[in-house]
Amino acid sequence: MSIKLSGNKLALPLLLLGLACLTAACERGPRAPQIESAFMLPEAATIADFNLSHLERGSYDIEDARGQWSLLFFGYTHCPDVCPTELFMLAEMMRGIENGAGAGPEPPQVVFVSVDPERDSLQHLQQYAGFYHPSFIGVTGEQSTIDRLCESIGVFYERVYYRNGKQVIPDASGTVPAGLEDSYLINHSASIFLLNPTGKLHAIFTAPHDPNTMIRDLAAIQAGWRS
Amino acid sequence: MKLNISRALGTVLLLSCAASAAAGGLKVIDPWVRSAPPNAPALGVFMTLENHSAADRAVVAARSSMTVDRVELHRTMMAGGVMKMMPQNAIPVASRSATVLKPGSWHIMLIGPDKVPAMGDKVRLTLVLDDGTEQSFEAIVRHGEMNMKTQDHQMKHE
Repeated sequence: MSIKLSGNKLALPLLLLGLACLTAACERGPRAPQIESAFMLPEAATIADFNLSHLERGSYDIEDARGQWSLLFFGYTHCPDVCPTELFMLAEMMRGIENGAGAGPEPPQVVFVSVDPERDSLQHLQQYAGFYHPSFIGVTGEQSTIDRLCESIGVFYERVYYRNGKQVIPDASGTVPAGLEDSYLINHSASIFLLNPTGKLHAIFTAPHDPNTMIRDLAAIQAGWRS
Repeated sequence: MKLNISRALGTVLLLSCAASAAAGGLKVIDPWVRSAPPNAPALGVFMTLENHSAADRAVVAARSSMTVDRVELHRTMMAGGVMKMMPQNAIPVASRSATVLKPGSWHIMLIGPDKVPAMGDKVRLTLVLDDGTEQSFEAIVRHGEMNMKTQDHQMKHE
């Protein structure tokens, strides 16, 4: 009726538009999840076998990572800025999931992996991680094990030494500059790595992170994985 | 009447000059210390520094009322997905502009605190400026809010 009133000129475009919409709807089928902040691996990747330690569990290895979704963040407790920011963001995400009362994603196990076992004892590490959220676990291990895990996941980190605001480069032998043995900073990746319940690397959340976007993406990723 | 207005204006101008002189070099807005685990080896301090003067200013050092190993000026920068934290000799605040100290950017680090303050505690801080003047103020301990702001921003677009 309205088409008639608008004149015949409009009838054909409107009909075509309607058809186009119908076709698009059919082609799309069930709505594909929209991922906003994560890089999805084309195929979940096997990561290096690792054996790290946790204060109460004893060990934390690939078997522990299986059976649930895990979010791995790599850092160190002496971290001045990035780790506190990210751990607080992850805690906000967990609170958001808990307040969603099951409507959102299955809560992931957040794992704070310290790349600084020299200074981060297991007790110190767990107290630090657990402060942000009681479910968080802090794990670490031999530097060589951490290196292997980092390499296999794609985490970069490097120790840096400063004196009076200027970077001090260790000599070729890697000897730590005198007096700076305990005061190094660590530059590190700010990405958060998602392992699926088979313990494979599934997606990477690159910085900056937002708790609500993380929740939506986790829900979409988990739904996509189940179907 | 005309005379009265100009006299009143003159008084206002005089008063505002006196106020800005009394406030020292920089205006410190909303200073806060990020709440941290009781065993945290480092604490971040954040604020907005406004410089209403005609001269560029810089913070060259900071002190705190807390017992700490040392206080450093830092800047976090993202390069190729890697967060780099770099100690700085100064935090510049250009003339008639502001420098925002916030998570992921400029900040003051309290390294090796004797005791980590609890939420709501106040920490007295002193900034040393490049002209030799000092400014003291209290910063409150609270949660980081950078992420919350991002959240609010995103929610408006939903």
